[in-house]
Amino acid sequence: MNPSEPTPAISAEEFRKFRDFFYRKTGIHFEDTKRYFVDKRLIERIQATDSDNFRNYFVMLRFQASGEELQALINLMTVNETYFFREEYQFRCLVNSILPEIAQRKGRDEPIRIWSVPSSSGEEPYSLAIYLLEHWPRVDEYDIELVASDIDTSILEKARQGCYDKRAVSHLPEPLLRKYFSALPNVQYQISDDLRHSVEFTQVNITDLSQMRGYRDFDVVFCRNLLIYFDDTSRRVAAEALFNALRPGGFICLGHSESMSRITPLFKVRKFPEAIVYQKPR
Amino acid sequence: MSLVKKNHASSGNADHRHLPRDRAGLLRQLQDASPDIRRWAALDLAAFPDTAEALCARLEQETGLPVREALLTTLIKIGGNAVVKGLMPLLRSEDATLRNEVIEALQQLPEAVSPYMETMLRDPDPDYRIFSINVLANLRHPQAPAWLQAVIERDADINVCASAVDVLAEVGGPETVPVLTGLPGRFDNDPFMQFCVQATIRRIQGHDA
Repeated sequence: MNPSEPTPAISAEEFRKFRDFFYRKTGIHFEDTKRYFVDKRLIERIQATDSDNFRNYFVMLRFQASGEELQALINLMTVNETYFFREEYQFRCLVNSILPEIAQRKGRDEPIRIWSVPSSSGEEPYSLAIYLLEHWPRVDEYDIELVASDIDTSILEKARQGCYDKRAVSHLPEPLLRKYFSALPNVQYQISDDLRHSVEFTQVNITDLSQMRGYRDFDVVFCRNLLIYFDDTSRRVAAEALFNALRPGGFICLGHSESMSRITPLFKVRKFPEAIVYQKPR
Repeated sequence: MSLVKKNHASSGNADHRHLPRDRAGLLRQLQDASPDIRRWAALDLAAFPDTAEALCARLEQETGLPVREALLTTLIKIGGNAVVKGLMPLLRSEDATLRNEVIEALQQLPEAVSPYMETMLRDPDPDYRIFSINVLANLRHPQAPAWLQAVIERDADINVCASAVDVLAEVGGPETVPVLTGLPGRFDNDPFMQFCVQATIRRIQGHDA
């Protein structure tokens, strides 16, 4: 697209058309109030792909065999704002209440599997790793597998690199920052190689049943602030997928404004001193 | 021990399903004695939209909660006329849990439900009409207030009208007020109906925060 050409505009009808398509592909629904957010990113991709207008771009998006453009758009449309030790009370709940209960019924040779989804740029799974190492006294008695997944491939790459700015680490106590990070130029911090190598990062769309087939036998799932982006139907599908991913008796932690009880009766509500979480019946 | 990294698929059992996943096989498994096999059959039947009737039939007799949830998820995913037609008769069930599940499922299918709503609201059974109004309570359809208004204009049953008035308190606009005002007169100014109507008008006009 020539820079002198006017910026393409997205009509209300085109917005609706795109919204329906994006919902079918990802389960993510945009309310009318998100119009500006969506239009801005669509226009950015229309220009980046040298499409003349929305119509041409949409045809390419729908029929491109590689799906490369759809993935680029998903990466832009998903929100990745997070930081280390966000909603720390849930990590306290994990080490003080959830893991002791899980450990009670585990043999020493059985791994404890924890899944962070969506993992965004890695702050949550690395926070989990740090919290376990620092605050769970029995951490050395078990093999603990940490899997972290997101739909956004570019953010996963960032997570694997593990480099963060000052804002992302601002809630971390200074001794932990020194212990687990190395300082880089430009006030950046990189998480230690040991921790980077202890988390398995994978790409997944949790509303896609076929993609979810490899995700099984987790003891704990952290799925915070994802379901709020879904509509009712996608929430149901996601809840089924999370149910499938958990072992009987496994736990799921949602964001503080989310409630599994409003979505499905599949899980039991567990009120621990630190937090309310949900459990797959045993 | 401590933190270890393994491939996510190989460290867990990737997939517990070993039975055939074709249409005929899944329909057979929907009747299996194992709830786990029935649940997976229900989930995988989402790939076969023409099985809506069989899924609804299974829902009517299914007692396992996870299987019922899987059946409902698949029915909502399939959507469309066949699903609505299969779910509508279940509103007559004596099982209140099933009725509530069906109401919630229909609420998630606004476009598919809309062609049937008029018929549902004119059903001879007042209970069925009340359950249809319950569907309207959370149906994202622009015609919902008009359907409810039509109910309070014509329905002869006081409980049906009271249910419609109750929902109009949430979804009704100022255009509904004249129709509401005339409603108690159709029931000899019944005090209960007068109370319902006044409360609803206050809420519509924003006097009752």
